[in-house]
Amino acid sequence: MSDNLDRRRFLNAAVFGGATVVGASALGSFAPQAAFAGLRPDADPHPELDPSLPDPNFAEGRITGIDGAMLLVTGSDKARHRIYATSGTSVWKLRPATVDEARIGDGLYARGVLLGDGALAADAVWLNIVNLTLYITSVGRDVIHFDHHGERVVGHVVPGTTVAVYNGTPAVTDLTPLKVGTHVQVIGAWRPDTNEVDLATVYAVA
Amino acid sequence: MIESFAAVQPAVVGAVLAWAGGVKLFGSGAAALARRTALGRLAGPHRAVPVYRTVGSVELGAGAVLVLPPALAAEAVLATVLCAGLLGYLGYARLVAPDSPCGCLSERPTPVRWRGFARATVLLAASGTAAWFGGHLTWADALVGRPMAAGTLLLAEVVLVLALSPELDAHWLLPLRRLRLRWRHPLAGTASGNGVPVAASVQQLLRSPAYRIAGGWLRSDVLDSWDEDEWRVLSYSARHGEAPVTAVFAVPRLRFRPADVRAVLVDEHTGDVLWQYTPQRSPHRGTALVRVDGPSA
Repeated sequence: MSDNLDRRRFLNAAVFGGATVVGASALGSFAPQAAFAGLRPDADPHPELDPSLPDPNFAEGRITGIDGAMLLVTGSDKARHRIYATSGTSVWKLRPATVDEARIGDGLYARGVLLGDGALAADAVWLNIVNLTLYITSVGRDVIHFDHHGERVVGHVVPGTTVAVYNGTPAVTDLTPLKVGTHVQVIGAWRPDTNEVDLATVYAVA
Repeated sequence: MIESFAAVQPAVVGAVLAWAGGVKLFGSGAAALARRTALGRLAGPHRAVPVYRTVGSVELGAGAVLVLPPALAAEAVLATVLCAGLLGYLGYARLVAPDSPCGCLSERPTPVRWRGFARATVLLAASGTAAWFGGHLTWADALVGRPMAAGTLLLAEVVLVLALSPELDAHWLLPLRRLRLRWRHPLAGTASGNGVPVAASVQQLLRSPAYRIAGGWLRSDVLDSWDEDEWRVLSYSARHGEAPVTAVFAVPRLRFRPADVRAVLVDEHTGDVLWQYTPQRSPHRGTALVRVDGPSA
């Protein structure tokens, strides 16, 4: 924890302090126009060669084993993946999390770089993330009931985490504009092997 | 007593059958619905619509015969056979096409679930009661003879059938729930939270000039976020050539001013700042992100 605080203090100093920039020329021009002129240094470091082949830098499936910072994953096509997470790997599990929060049985999407030994060095891991278009059938205390093509989905409101985006405006914690009988899009964390999700962001019209 | 209770059953079963037949015969979207139902699967795509319409005609005919006098035992037997057939059809639909619409009482596509089965069972029980205990008493006679008892039973059965019809929820259940929300919203507690969610800061970051330059270097999702006075700091993993570095963005926390977003690329191993973006100052104060009133403030 104190490591994390030290790290935040160090990064604060970098972003707020007038630090001297070292070796900036290696990154080329930083005028905003450069972004439009295609001068971004590694805008597309791995061009897709064959769209019909699976992306080697992506993996999905359920976690079947955890060995330290390595996640063993069985894909929905039964392919086995080994996924390494480092301190530079972002882990999402309802909110930004750490790899310690991964559990066997969690659903996983990971993006990174394929290593020589066939493992994926993950840049980003999303655990149990789901993206659903749902119909609100009922609102209760700390829970919203949805219909998903005739199936019931139970959405749990997590205080301090669940937010809503109305009409594309910045996210707010207020969920009272949500109406029964309307369609919404939900990003949430699935509770494995249930029809329940913890709600992260609800996109709605208000 | 039992005879007058049995006598009102054809009215309930007949009305439901006539209604179902009417939907199948005169509904504007009936043909499209027919092809999607399990009946369409059973009959084949080309015969789906004629078969659906035929079933509708039989239902409407049987419904009319049941509701209109005289009351014959054969009518109740016919209704029992139809209701048993409906129950069998629902079982078939659940088995071969569980997500297909029932096509029963409304054009609103509603998959077959327990309420559909319960409704068919109630109708089967009602028509079976009429066939077993019914005499020549019509439902109108029963209502005149025992207005309280027969009327209450009739009303209760109609309410039961409506409650067991998921197709009709949009007409009574959802408006009731909407009314309840207006009366007292169970999630009212979320309205008072005046913290700015991290998602709002990320939305602001994505619209910032700093992100337009640095976005292409990012490799991860949000690594960490914390608040520093009026700022929210977001860190990401990034790539500088082949070296992994950290991108740090400072986003105005309480105001929507994407032009003010600051950014640096830091090599955490050496402590070097490799790139930074410091916006030009401008007098514009931006839009407050902490809501005072109204959702669009």
